[in-house]
Amino acid sequence: MEREFSRVILDALPGLVWTARPDGHADFFNQRWLDYSGLTEEEAMGLGWQEVVHPEDLPQLLEYWSSRLVSSAAGQAEARVRRFDGVYRWFQFRTNPMTNASGQVIRWCGINTDIEDQKRAEQELLRSEAFLAHGEVVSETGSFLWRPETGEIRWSNQLYRIFEFELGTPVTTERIAGRIHPEDLWVSEDMVNRAQAGRGLRYEYRLLMSDGGIKHLHFVGRATLDQEGSFEYIGTIQNVTERRLAEQALSKVRSELAHVARVTSLNALTASIAHEVNQPLSGIVTNASTCLRMLAARRPNIEGARETARRTIRDGNRASEIISRLRALFANKNAAIEPLDLNDAAREVIALSVHELQISGVVLRQDFADDLPAVPGDRTQLQQVILNLILNAADAMNEVTDRPRSLVVRTQRHKDDQVRLDVQDCGIGIDSKIAGKLFEAFFTTKSKGMGIGLSVSRSIVESHGGRLWAMANDGPGATFSFAIPFGDEARSWPIAPGAPVGETHAGGRSR
Amino acid sequence: MTRRPLICVIDDDESVRESLPDLIREFGFDVHVFSSAEEFLASESAGHAECLLLDIAMPGMTGLELQQDLERRQSGIPIIFITALADDKVRSAALRQGVAACLFKPFSDTELRQALNRALKRD
Repeated sequence: MEREFSRVILDALPGLVWTARPDGHADFFNQRWLDYSGLTEEEAMGLGWQEVVHPEDLPQLLEYWSSRLVSSAAGQAEARVRRFDGVYRWFQFRTNPMTNASGQVIRWCGINTDIEDQKRAEQELLRSEAFLAHGEVVSETGSFLWRPETGEIRWSNQLYRIFEFELGTPVTTERIAGRIHPEDLWVSEDMVNRAQAGRGLRYEYRLLMSDGGIKHLHFVGRATLDQEGSFEYIGTIQNVTERRLAEQALSKVRSELAHVARVTSLNALTASIAHEVNQPLSGIVTNASTCLRMLAARRPNIEGARETARRTIRDGNRASEIISRLRALFANKNAAIEPLDLNDAAREVIALSVHELQISGVVLRQDFADDLPAVPGDRTQLQQVILNLILNAADAMNEVTDRPRSLVVRTQRHKDDQVRLDVQDCGIGIDSKIAGKLFEAFFTTKSKGMGIGLSVSRSIVESHGGRLWAMANDGPGATFSFAIPFGDEARSWPIAPGAPVGETHAGGRSR
Repeated sequence: MTRRPLICVIDDDESVRESLPDLIREFGFDVHVFSSAEEFLASESAGHAECLLLDIAMPGMTGLELQQDLERRQSGIPIIFITALADDKVRSAALRQGVAACLFKPFSDTELRQALNRALKRD
């Protein structure tokens, strides 16, 4: 009866219960053990139970078991145990010795607890930690926890690597401040001030490393209230050095291109200026000649002479006005004509303007013909034209808010012997009142421009034997286009830079 | 007294349109001015001009296009190109097209006088 009672209790326990002789041979298994393993009591007895322990875990388990037998001490181990259906699950083996009055082991009692779910959760956690750590390495982002009140700071390993601190060493605000670039030290002060109020933290600052290297960091931290009611910041610090350096390099290239473009367009520019100045000079010479003739006549025409003198002065002022508008002198340089892929040239310009276009909220679409023949051209000059047209188009869409600011740059063959590039915007379009002045030098409606962009652009295109024109779109906006001949005809008609011979189609928006 | 020959000045520049007529009248010619090739073609003067002073670079129809147009119609009007762009290539190309003269702005009254005389075959 007593024995039967024990069995009922043992079978009711939520674990696999067993006992063994002092020599380690098993002599009892509860029903749960037998049900789980699918073995009969006879099969499991003695050393038979070893059959259901995972072969990979068995040597370790036996080692543990024999160490227990030697030391006679309680202990625990983990191993996978096969279920009746062949599935292995992780178990914790706990073994306790039953001793007699003299301390001798008379029996071993064991209980095996299913820890499969716990094991899985542990592995899952390990995996997700590894995943996070890997992500931190790849993105060069470290994470941190900071309690301003106690000064407690916890860092991820990646953050140690970014700051080049030895892993695991204590991190203090003083240590961090020692790494921050002297010019950015205000950040650490500001951070402490803001943290008192639990405000969000977002900074870009630099580190000055011990080897003199500079790192650019992007810092984001957000506060939550912990259980004691003090602020706890959790955030990330990303190493954005490469991005910053790339941006700096890009902006350097941009300003270099702009400079080169200014310098190399001198030919076109001087021709353009000469053209503008020669017009009033012509008036001056003609008026002065007329004036002299009127005065030299047998009956001098005083009134006529006065009128021509007045016009002479006016034209003189006009010429000097044109000159005074020139703010800079450019060094001379000849155009470098070479075979040019218009798609390539346009792509480079687009790459350089992408940033500026993004800032203006312009969406640029490329629509390039893939069978364009090369044209003889000066790459830098033509790129200046393309850049000018693109930036003009972006400007023209500045006030557009009711539709996407879409910009299309299109290349195609034009007639039989030319390649053509269109820059199509959906901006303010063309005002017919100023259509005729669109390509004139010094004509502009922009508060900033000198009004030479389109004039110089046209001079450049014409010096390539091509044509630059503008047309109103069917919908909103305008399309500016130029076409350049690629054949032998390319340069037969010697229109030199500055000769405004192209045709201007209907419409005009000042550029 | 003989009829004064009609000279037409076609130039989009206002200074030129204002100054040239007085000088040409001083030479003893009649003169009409136009700011574009199209305006000239639409006028009655196109029929009786005896010489054109024609700007090369104009918006719309250029001086070159007008010259070629008149040549196709065999109008026989002598043409003097005037241009603000001092480029010998332009001058020689223009002369190859069969115009009487090509003057670079600014030009003197003597240059203009000689060019007109040559165009009207009066020297």
